[in-house]
Amino acid sequence: MATSSVLADAPRPPLRRAGVQRGIARIVAFLVFAGLWQAFATSANSLLIPTFTATVSAFLRLIASSELWRALLVSNQALVIGFGASVVIGIPVGLLIGRFRILEKVADPYVSIMLVTPMAAIIPLMVMSVGIGLASRAMLVALFALPMVIVNTRAGVRQVDDRLVEMARSYNATERQIWTRILLRGAMPGVMAGVRIGLGRGITGMVVVELLMVSVGLGGLILEYRAFFRTADLYAVVIVVVLEALVLVSVAHRIERRMVPWAGDETGSA
Amino acid sequence: MNPSTSASAAKLGTRVRVPSRLVPALSLLVGVATWELIGRIWDVSFFPALSEVVAQLVELIRDGRILGNLSASLTNLASGFGISVVAGIVIGVAMGMIPIVNSALDVYVYALLTAPSLVFAPIFFSIFGLGRGSIVALIVVYAVFIIIINTADGVRSVPIELIEMAQTYNASRFQIARRVILPAAMPMIMAGLRIGVSRAVKGMINGEMFIAVVGLGRVVTEAGGRFDAASVLAVLLVIIAVAWAASAVVQIIDRRLTSWLPEVNRG
Amino acid sequence: MIEVKGLTKKFIDKNGTTVEAVADLDLTVQDNEFVTVLGPSGCGKTTLLRCIAGLTRWDQGEILIDGNPVRGPGLDRAMVFQSFALLPWATVLRNITFGLELRGADRETREDKAMELIGAVGLADFEHNLPGTLSGGMQQRVGLARALAVEPSVLLMDEPFGALDEQTRRLLQEELLRIWEARRITVVFITHSIEEAVILGDRVVVMTPRPGRIDDITNVPLGRPRANPAEYAAATRTVAELTATLWERLKQHQPDSRAGGTRS
Repeated sequence: MATSSVLADAPRPPLRRAGVQRGIARIVAFLVFAGLWQAFATSANSLLIPTFTATVSAFLRLIASSELWRALLVSNQALVIGFGASVVIGIPVGLLIGRFRILEKVADPYVSIMLVTPMAAIIPLMVMSVGIGLASRAMLVALFALPMVIVNTRAGVRQVDDRLVEMARSYNATERQIWTRILLRGAMPGVMAGVRIGLGRGITGMVVVELLMVSVGLGGLILEYRAFFRTADLYAVVIVVVLEALVLVSVAHRIERRMVPWAGDETGSA
Repeated sequence: MNPSTSASAAKLGTRVRVPSRLVPALSLLVGVATWELIGRIWDVSFFPALSEVVAQLVELIRDGRILGNLSASLTNLASGFGISVVAGIVIGVAMGMIPIVNSALDVYVYALLTAPSLVFAPIFFSIFGLGRGSIVALIVVYAVFIIIINTADGVRSVPIELIEMAQTYNASRFQIARRVILPAAMPMIMAGLRIGVSRAVKGMINGEMFIAVVGLGRVVTEAGGRFDAASVLAVLLVIIAVAWAASAVVQIIDRRLTSWLPEVNRG
Repeated sequence: MIEVKGLTKKFIDKNGTTVEAVADLDLTVQDNEFVTVLGPSGCGKTTLLRCIAGLTRWDQGEILIDGNPVRGPGLDRAMVFQSFALLPWATVLRNITFGLELRGADRETREDKAMELIGAVGLADFEHNLPGTLSGGMQQRVGLARALAVEPSVLLMDEPFGALDEQTRRLLQEELLRIWEARRITVVFITHSIEEAVILGDRVVVMTPRPGRIDDITNVPLGRPRANPAEYAAATRTVAELTATLWERLKQHQPDSRAGGTRS
């Protein structure tokens, strides 16, 4: 009997079992983490480091409180407006610079700068010019999301097979027809990826603005709890934020896959 | 798919034939000139002309406020990014090579990558206190997850025939990891590092703005508090330069390490 | 000498059914013999080779090399791959010394050996090239040199010329024969080209699929050394006759043939 230590092909377990194995691994990892956290926090015995159990109960309390939901409402207003703006502006821009090389070259330095600049540093300027209301929060959310929407839309257009466009031209298609029949459809995967990634960035912007500019909404809660040393509550809000980001991006991913089922599972340019 | 440069230039009404390589630079020049113009005409505090900003930058350099904070920022960046690279590659390789590790961690890595990393700043603040440690920890949170994911993807996409080939020469697991998997995964690892360094810079600035003790982020916050737009923009220029330089360094290392890639595959 | 006894290997395909890739297979390969294994896709020839190489575990039976049971890959066997499997980031020289490096041979020994083989496979002046700059035929020469560098007693070749165009393939067949004449090691060569099996082998093993087993073993009545068969009319005729005979045999087991259909 072969007892080779180098295994090449054991028969694969049927898919269901693999899923259960994975689930168990994840739960185990989580439990290990929770255990370590609890041990560390209990030994540190500090006001500033809540235990895992304290955090869990704070989380449950928080979910039930109206405070949280009011904060979510306030925060997400900026998200909806800002993200909406970034999509409305970003997609057309991305389509244009994807289609016309010259426009791409004109826009290139600015897009690069936008990608590389930490938008948070813009906050003081925003405060000076637009103030600290919903408008400036929404604008910052838009600024966070915009570069990703543009870049991914551009990529989406560029990866449309040149030959398809040539083919359309050979049938005397007008520019408009090239767009409607080929480019818009073909660019969809990139556009949807941009929307999904842009949403993630927008959520980041939403929170960053509330932590650095004006403490309302979720960020406001975090800062408030920090000021009052309610650290378990603080951690609970952090968990809420992480969950919201996860949920929204997953939903966006699902929609993306529904709309462009022919696209591979690309992560896009993050 | 793209109309030739001169054709679309004609469409846009220019008759001048501009070599396409120069267009980005020209565009930037036009932008800069516009900035200068608008800054001068429109006299508002939050929109200083470029010349003003440059002058302020020189001033800031001269009285030492930039350099000290710049080096503080760069130290934070180097430490945080350094830790992210080591931890990211190690964890990524583990996840790529050992399926159970991958199953256990992938959801969490993805979740932490998607979440707005700045929320962890207050947490680090309470653990590490008001100082460098918090900022470095935050930079790690910003950068490490994308490195992990890219590394794991790179390791997983090593062509199995290369691994089997190495097995036929009786290579140990370690030899395979070092001689086959790591070099083969290098392009994707470097992609992770490129994105990671950009995220690290953002983490550095965001962290320094939140825990405003030291560094360029702090200067921005202070200047903003004084409604000193020229200083804010001046520091912003420095920040952009830092981000660009960090990115360029990683790109250079990338070229060296993946010089064997055919040009087509460059991201 | 390779002894395969009662080898059985089962897979579970994507529908969940069990497929016998190899069923109760017996084969003996003598020292310094060049055996070609011929058969359609799915007949188990690759599985057989991989089991001998120690890359694949099997379910029943045993494989002995010079009396020692196979437990995994070993230094006595080296493999040449259809997809070349060269390290794209390493030069031709480094690729050839790969096996030697793993074994810890010192630099001088490695490079001497490599240069000798580079000459033997006809790649002189290319030692510092990267695989990406080489044609398929040249890459496979590197693959062959790499395998020979570790001085194996058994050379396992998995459709090594399958990815090459016809001209290159014929060229490399001649090269392989020439190189083999100079160092007669045991070779097991997988192919689905009948003509190739006849040109290269001392014996042709015909395998059939579902379940994978040996249908027939034919001796090739051509002498050694086998220079270019096209130069010798008589040899060509033998090759053609043998090819036709083998094709008749194989046809019986092709799914869409009218004479016989598949054996299940």
